[in-house]
Amino acid sequence: MKLPDIDLEELKKSKEKNFKERLEFIDFYANWVKKTPNKVWSKQQKTIIDK
Amino acid sequence: MELNFTKDCISFEKELNQLDQFVIDFTTILNALDIKYVIISGYVAILFGRNRASEDIDLFIEKIDFSKFQTLWNVLEKQFDCIITNTVDEAYHQYLKEDFALRFARKGEVIPNMEIKFCKDPLDFLSLQEKKQVVLNKHSLFISPLELQVSFKLFLGTQKDIEDARYLFALFKDHLNQSLLHSFSRKLKIEEELKRYLP
Repeated sequence: MKLPDIDLEELKKSKEKNFKERLEFIDFYANWVKKTPNKVWSKQQKTIIDK
Repeated sequence: MELNFTKDCISFEKELNQLDQFVIDFTTILNALDIKYVIISGYVAILFGRNRASEDIDLFIEKIDFSKFQTLWNVLEKQFDCIITNTVDEAYHQYLKEDFALRFARKGEVIPNMEIKFCKDPLDFLSLQEKKQVVLNKHSLFISPLELQVSFKLFLGTQKDIEDARYLFALFKDHLNQSLLHSFSRKLKIEEELKRYLP
């Protein structure tokens, strides 16, 4: 297998961007949980955790 | 999210997932034996809705003597296996007393497991002393102060820990003691991280 050239700087930038987006999603999700009845968010959480 | 907040207690109801039920079953035993404990792990974020799995729950207990530990072991054995050792002597003298963790899982299972340690450093003792009561579906359990939980997660510094800190901060921003949060961050030398990740 011939490996492609890898631009590590580009990869690092992409990793940082991805992490920033994840943190933004966490803010979005936390705000959604705050506005949502316990019954609704905990049911969705149960689906993921009990999988 | 409906949470009932008082100075020392947060009470709420939710649809319990398997991890919640595991924690309730385990801490019911600690409560019944009047053993002081505090949950300090990522489970605290999960308890309040963070949507991720976890294979273990970290918990500190007060230092107890061998006789009391034997009682705890005997009661736990009815529902849980210690997956690190199967002898009570070794569990106490070679693990807990030497600051190594024990792990207990439901019989025949490995995950999730409860990772228990004795309190050993000043932050552990502070967590235990200042623990916060959570009443989850009428079951009482104890977690570390949220300000310390958030700060310590930033101190640990993995992506998952920072995400947990961000989630708890976003959820409880209006209830956190900001001055205490900043004091912890100074002690843990994470002021930069606090600014960067918890705007």
